[in-house]
Amino acid sequence: MSVRPLLEVEDLEVAYGDVQVIWGISFTVAPGEIVTLIGPNGAGKTTTLRTISGLLSPKAGKIRFRGEDLSGRPAHEVVRRGVIQIPEGRKLWPRMTVEENLLLGAFAPRARDMAHEQLDRVYALFPLLKGRRRQLAGTMSGGEQQMCAIGRGLMSEPELLMFDEPSLGLAPLLVDELFAKITGIAKQNVTILLVEQKVAHTLEIADRGYILETGRTVLSGTGKELRESEYVQRSYLGT
Amino acid sequence: MGLDDLLNLFVAAILLAGIYTTMSIGMTVIYGVMKMVNLAHAGFMMLGAYFALEMSERLHIDPLVSSVLAVPVFFLLGVATHRSMVRFVPVADEPTLPSLLLLFGLWLVLQNVGYGVWGADDRSIFSALTMATFQFKGIVVPVIRLIVFGIALLSLVALHLFLHHTWFGRSVRALTQNREAGQLAGIDTGRTAMLTFGLGIAFTGLAGALLANLYSFTPEFGSSFMLRSFVITVLGGLESFSGVAIGAVIVALIETFSILVVPASYQHAISFILLVVALLVLPGGIEGLLQRWRRLG
Repeated sequence: MSVRPLLEVEDLEVAYGDVQVIWGISFTVAPGEIVTLIGPNGAGKTTTLRTISGLLSPKAGKIRFRGEDLSGRPAHEVVRRGVIQIPEGRKLWPRMTVEENLLLGAFAPRARDMAHEQLDRVYALFPLLKGRRRQLAGTMSGGEQQMCAIGRGLMSEPELLMFDEPSLGLAPLLVDELFAKITGIAKQNVTILLVEQKVAHTLEIADRGYILETGRTVLSGTGKELRESEYVQRSYLGT
Repeated sequence: MGLDDLLNLFVAAILLAGIYTTMSIGMTVIYGVMKMVNLAHAGFMMLGAYFALEMSERLHIDPLVSSVLAVPVFFLLGVATHRSMVRFVPVADEPTLPSLLLLFGLWLVLQNVGYGVWGADDRSIFSALTMATFQFKGIVVPVIRLIVFGIALLSLVALHLFLHHTWFGRSVRALTQNREAGQLAGIDTGRTAMLTFGLGIAFTGLAGALLANLYSFTPEFGSSFMLRSFVITVLGGLESFSGVAIGAVIVALIETFSILVVPASYQHAISFILLVVALLVLPGGIEGLLQRWRRLG
């Protein structure tokens, strides 16, 4: 690929205390791409995202965003550069209204001035949220909360949006809608790094993907290549 | 015991609840954002009381005015305490032994500084208002208590507006409700913790200075009020700012009306009993109880 990658993760190693869970993961995400990380539970997908976001510090390896080394930077500095994560399990603020949740998504200084324009854009993408703006986020259904979490992530006009298991706990009908929203967001020039258990669905919308197992990258390719790979079919698609 | 007496007690309890809320809210914001129990709460309250005394004796500033002046002074004191000590305690999702020991140690140090500077004598602040009362339909209201209530109420209104309408205020609520989501939204947790500690100590200093208008004090001052703050905070559900006000009203009502049945010297015991009952029966506080009801209804 000739374009300089937006995100480069190189030989990443991460440990929780003495327990190392990531043993050398490398991947890149180019501007405008949808890239997915696939792997069984415990493969280190969530840990990888948490490390990119600055919630964890890597033991070794590099995380570069636009060529700048972000490894070991605190979370708020990562957010300021436009790298946003929508965490597993939504993690909304339950006793705040939907609108307050969204507004706080624009907390980063570069996003504050635009917060109200951005709010309108999020409401246009998720009309349901507009009707619920005064409702406490904790009282909404799982699907509605996921929409709110995505909306919050969009509030700061991210350059790279990382999803951690966005379909977890959603009804099948909502999963289709969710994937449609994700591709819609990608079309608006937001680069996407997607961690998902719904492998077949994910590989259909992804430009490229990486298979992680026990903290290592074992396979990579375009969405189509991975869909057709015998290994992926046997291990992840159940065919 | 006539209706008038009951009404008098009720009014006294509500006036007390105002200052109890202001006194407890500092502990609640600190716990909310940092998950630390401020065991030095009493120490800062004591400093607030002596601050009002010194301002009154040396600069002849009215103790009620001094209470308001205590807010910026104690904010800075809180920020300095955080920068010099508290920030070195590892962050955790629940109170840790190092944080408890540090803040307990700080309380002891503050107390002994108090003894060194002001001695062990009982001190109190008298002003023209100290003994003044007015009557309204048979209810006797001490003027000073009404003003203290007013200042407390104003401080709470200001805090409410601040928490709901400023970026910093929203970030305080966000970290209280879900710390990690706050980090992922770009909130600088270290800076917010520092300012929150300042905010919490500002309210604690304000409360100490206000209480100095009502009660006499020594460097031990504040410990019984700290105990009440615990009860109120637990009743309030630890992290709910509106729950604190409800908790304060409950504690003030029970304390005030308990003098009808038990001697006043048992008031401490009453706070303790309330704490035990609250922890056993209402582990989630009033807020938790309301949420359970909402879910059922």
